Amino acid sequence: MSGSHALDTRVDLGGIRLRNPVLTASGTFGYGTEFAPFLDLTRIGGFVAKSLTLEPRVGNPPPRIAEAPSGMLNAISLENVGVDAFIRTKLPEIPAAVVVIASVFETEIERYVEVCKRLDGVDRVAGLELNASCPHVKSGGIEFGQSPTVLAELVRAVRNATRKPLMVKLSPNVTHIAEMARVCEGEGADAIALINSVQALEVDVETRRPLLANGLGGLSGPAIRPIALRMVWQASQAVSIPICGIGGIDDGEDAAKFLLCGATAVQVGTRNYLDPSAALGVVEGLEAWGRRQRAKRLADLVGSLEMPEP
Amino acid sequence: MVQNLHEGGANYRLTLRVTGWPGFEPGQFVMLSAGPQASVPRTDPLLPRPMAVYRTRQQAQGTLVDVLYKRVGRGTALLAQALPGQKVGLVGPLGRCFELPGAAERALLVAGGTGIASVYELAARLVPRVDVCVLLGAATAQDLMGVDDFAALGVELEIATEDGSRGFQGRVTRLLEDALAGRKPGTTRIYSCGPTGMMRRCAEIAALVGVPCIVSLENQMACGFGVCLGCAAPLSNGSYALVCRDGPSFDASTIAWQGLP
Repeated sequence: MSGSHALDTRVDLGGIRLRNPVLTASGTFGYGTEFAPFLDLTRIGGFVAKSLTLEPRVGNPPPRIAEAPSGMLNAISLENVGVDAFIRTKLPEIPAAVVVIASVFETEIERYVEVCKRLDGVDRVAGLELNASCPHVKSGGIEFGQSPTVLAELVRAVRNATRKPLMVKLSPNVTHIAEMARVCEGEGADAIALINSVQALEVDVETRRPLLANGLGGLSGPAIRPIALRMVWQASQAVSIPICGIGGIDDGEDAAKFLLCGATAVQVGTRNYLDPSAALGVVEGLEAWGRRQRAKRLADLVGSLEMPEP
Repeated sequence: MVQNLHEGGANYRLTLRVTGWPGFEPGQFVMLSAGPQASVPRTDPLLPRPMAVYRTRQQAQGTLVDVLYKRVGRGTALLAQALPGQKVGLVGPLGRCFELPGAAERALLVAGGTGIASVYELAARLVPRVDVCVLLGAATAQDLMGVDDFAALGVELEIATEDGSRGFQGRVTRLLEDALAGRKPGTTRIYSCGPTGMMRRCAEIAALVGVPCIVSLENQMACGFGVCLGCAAPLSNGSYALVCRDGPSFDASTIAWQGLP
């Protein structure tokens, strides 16, 4: 009867206590209420809201999305309502039992800090996710998360601005993900989340133009899952703070792979678009896997991948 | 899936039996999986396709939902292979409905290509209430969709094909100009759905004559319910609307046509 014993699904993601390890990824779940008709938000671990900036932000011209093999490219440019409108109008609409993580995104460190300060005193926000994939204007447009020194400066400044659990979402567009993970841990981050979308390009051969109006975009979906698993595993070997795994998770088995590679929790992303109740299926599939593994706690399976010695 | 009829050329008529269908309003759409669902979720092509709800019929075992589509790419080619009994993923109905005309107005429906599917239900609901004139356009006679269904409604129906293989030879927007000739502003409302160029021309003609024009836009979308923000349409006030959430029908005068892909 290994399939029916009690399984403890609770995890602690750097001080964010979750009823199960399944979150939904920023930018794929709106402000939560959009999904209320499709699934019971209290059945999933929680959700990461759409990235917030200091001021409301308008997105890129169309086409903003394009299809790719087992994936999609997007160049939305983080259109959002702004941090104040989120606190005033979006948060109160979310049921009290739902864990909400706010995602923060800006173009200057001072502005990141200001957004985090405004969220710091808001009780309904369980933790902050720092989106480090934004181009840093002062560094000539490279992503915050692509330079160890810029990333360290950002995490240090934000760490000093908030007492909330702080999770840094890493860019995969780097050579050494372990180094970036260590920078975050060294500057006091409580957790890291990876990976963000992979910088990509898709082309229309007839018009000889990119499919996206913006030119480049971010690739997400199952196409990036093995890359994400590799990066999560490498990061998990480098740090001891918890990791939230992201990248092409469609079902419980995909989520299980991330736990095995060292992720304490996961985020379901692109799949939410195609199947708005997908995160619930991931919860159920992950629980079924935990029972098949005869685990008492899902957390006991984290990092239990048997990787051959190099 | 109950039926997947090949109606000649690239045209298909898909009938799905949907349980728990809440009913729909003219202009709404559904997101359909690219092809039938297999034992594991398909990842390539990944995204569902937005399709207009053509019409529905109530049955004891559920609602029959008809969708007209053209086999044009990988997703619709897979859909064309789907067999009765297989399952197709559906999310919907989605989007806002067409704003309906006033009691004294005449409704001029101008549709081309797959856009024809978006205006059938509008015509069906308006026929008992107001004068309805339907202008359908396509490249060739074989590309036309749903002509017999519109004829059966008893609406005034005119057809234009670019090669002249059926009806008037030329663009359907020429028929629109003729239909508006001598009309006083305030007595007609135009509804338009089809290729961007056709809708843009309808908007220009409407503005010249001074009659309201409602267009039903298409765009790439990943979700269909306002989350991916992929289906942005530029507005003349400099902001963006989401085709899925704020549309798909819009007052044509609010659209920044030069910014549409």
